[in-house]
Amino acid sequence: MRAFWERAILEPLRDLGQQALASLSSLIGMLALILLGLILGWIAKEIIYRVLRALRFDRLCDRLGVGLVVERTGLARSSSYLAGQIVQGLIILTALLAGLNALGTPLARNLVDRFFLYLPHLLAALLVLVVGALVSRFLGRSVLIAAVNAQMPSARLLAGLTRFFVMALTVVAALDELGISRTTIIVTFAILFGGVVAAAAIALGLGARDLAHDLLQSQFRPKVRSEVEDPMRHL
Amino acid sequence: MDEEILKGRVKEKLSALGEVEIIVGIPSYNNAPTIGHVVRAAQAGLLKHFPARKALIVNSDGGSTDGTLEAVEQAKLDTQSILSVSHPLYPVHRLTTPYYGLPGKGSALRTLFRIAELTQARALAVVGADLRSIAPEWFELLLGPVLDREFDYVAPYYKRHKFDGAITNSIVYPLTRALYGRRVRQPIGGEFGISRRLASRLLTEEGWNTDVARYGIDIWITTTAIAENYKVCQSYLGAKIHDPTDPGSDLSGMLVQVVGSVFGLMETYDFVWRNVLGSLPAPLFGFPFEVGLEPVRINLGRMLASYQQAVRDLLPVYRSIISSPQLEGLEAAAALPEGEFALSDELWVAVICDFALGYHRRVIDREHLVRSLTPLYLGWVASFARQAENETAAQVEERIEKLCLVFEQLKPYLINQWPLQSGEKRSAS
Repeated sequence: MRAFWERAILEPLRDLGQQALASLSSLIGMLALILLGLILGWIAKEIIYRVLRALRFDRLCDRLGVGLVVERTGLARSSSYLAGQIVQGLIILTALLAGLNALGTPLARNLVDRFFLYLPHLLAALLVLVVGALVSRFLGRSVLIAAVNAQMPSARLLAGLTRFFVMALTVVAALDELGISRTTIIVTFAILFGGVVAAAAIALGLGARDLAHDLLQSQFRPKVRSEVEDPMRHL
Repeated sequence: MDEEILKGRVKEKLSALGEVEIIVGIPSYNNAPTIGHVVRAAQAGLLKHFPARKALIVNSDGGSTDGTLEAVEQAKLDTQSILSVSHPLYPVHRLTTPYYGLPGKGSALRTLFRIAELTQARALAVVGADLRSIAPEWFELLLGPVLDREFDYVAPYYKRHKFDGAITNSIVYPLTRALYGRRVRQPIGGEFGISRRLASRLLTEEGWNTDVARYGIDIWITTTAIAENYKVCQSYLGAKIHDPTDPGSDLSGMLVQVVGSVFGLMETYDFVWRNVLGSLPAPLFGFPFEVGLEPVRINLGRMLASYQQAVRDLLPVYRSIISSPQLEGLEAAAALPEGEFALSDELWVAVICDFALGYHRRVIDREHLVRSLTPLYLGWVASFARQAENETAAQVEERIEKLCLVFEQLKPYLINQWPLQSGEKRSAS
């Protein structure tokens, strides 16, 4: 009877207690890592923010046009602060993943492995978005200034369209890099783009035939010399 | 360096020639219709005014395909009429050499300066191959001050139509004068006389293959001469009439090169102009006779429309360059009817100062910045032309003088706003 009591009740209870103790230590380890990550993240954010502010990083971002985006979207109070927040987020994320890894369960390990395999794609997509935003801004401004200098009435529209299409291509490229429903995105983009062009063509054909006629004539009809050339010698 | 600039054949010819005292340089590119006349004028000028000095005419050609080189070879002087004036002791040599690198004036000048250095020439005169109004007297006026009065740089002084050369009148001349304190009326005239000393100095400078080597080359030479305290004067050459084949038909591209060069040079010489206030006249040689001038047509409506559209559409760009009071002034002017449209001198000068500061601080891409100045410049020209419509050339010159004085008065604003160099900051603290 005593042997039965020992084997059937006490041993499983002891095993359960040992397993609970082991899991509790892993859990405490995970919580400690997350707490450490939170503290280190906050310290890193403060250091990066102050160093970048001292190095006039905000002014550089303003010149590149990033500062305006940060300000308008309300992402952070300044570009330096945003950089600090990004580093803080990365540290906390790393600590969280390390904590999950410390749990030692196959599910947690699988999650961590998959995250690290996906990380390069995430960073590449982020880079594509940043470069795309800068290129769209630069090209938009180039088109705007050139169109105003050429006295084209729709200068702002042209610049806006340039920015829109560059950003649209950028977003498609970034989503493609992330592997999010590639086919759906490409088909959606093609339908959207085709739809816009078709709508514009129908609108022009039905509602603005005279305007289209005048526009084409002004573009392709040979102009008289005095219309084309600036008669002044500026230098 | 000479291996890069001059071919072996040219150096052989130069060494066979030995030392010369005077060089006349004629940069050219597809100037077959006019270059013969320029070469003949140079020969006549040298024979008439410097018969006892060994001279050399150099045509530096940028790869012409229209027979320019043949035109130079065929250019013959009417020796009967010249010989009746004086006889040369040394023959006037003609040498034609194509230049390499950037196919423009900068490369041609580099070749000419190098030849002047190799031949130990005391003076070099550079004239355009497209000139129709050139006369033998131009060479006395461009070379004489260098040879006889020890000047290093002789800038041209032309009689021009009151609306001709608006970039020079509204930006380049007043700004250069206010910055460096020397009144050189045509700082980008094109023709000039130069001493070997200054030519050798310019040969040491970097940037011969950059934008400054195109339209910026003239302002670069003038600015270097003034800022580095070389002896500078001007010579009155009368009217400048040249072939209407001006390569700079793109106005904003022209502004990028010329005004961009002026702004770029402000960075190079900020240690000079920070310490200059007011200006002094540059000595003027030659008799300022009256000449007939070609009429200049101005399309006021087109210029004003360009200005008004820019103030409306380029506002986000201008906000990053121009300070608020100036921007408000520009907007207020854009709202005026055509008959009352005017930009004050003070507003224009402050806007140019803001553009110079924006260029230095790189508030936006530099080419974008200068290109965005184009419609504002057209607005200024429209305002200027409307106000000066019924004025004589002398009255217009007074108007430009007033503008120059405003540039000089507002210079402290530019000095205060211009960021100190790191070395200056240390010494200031």
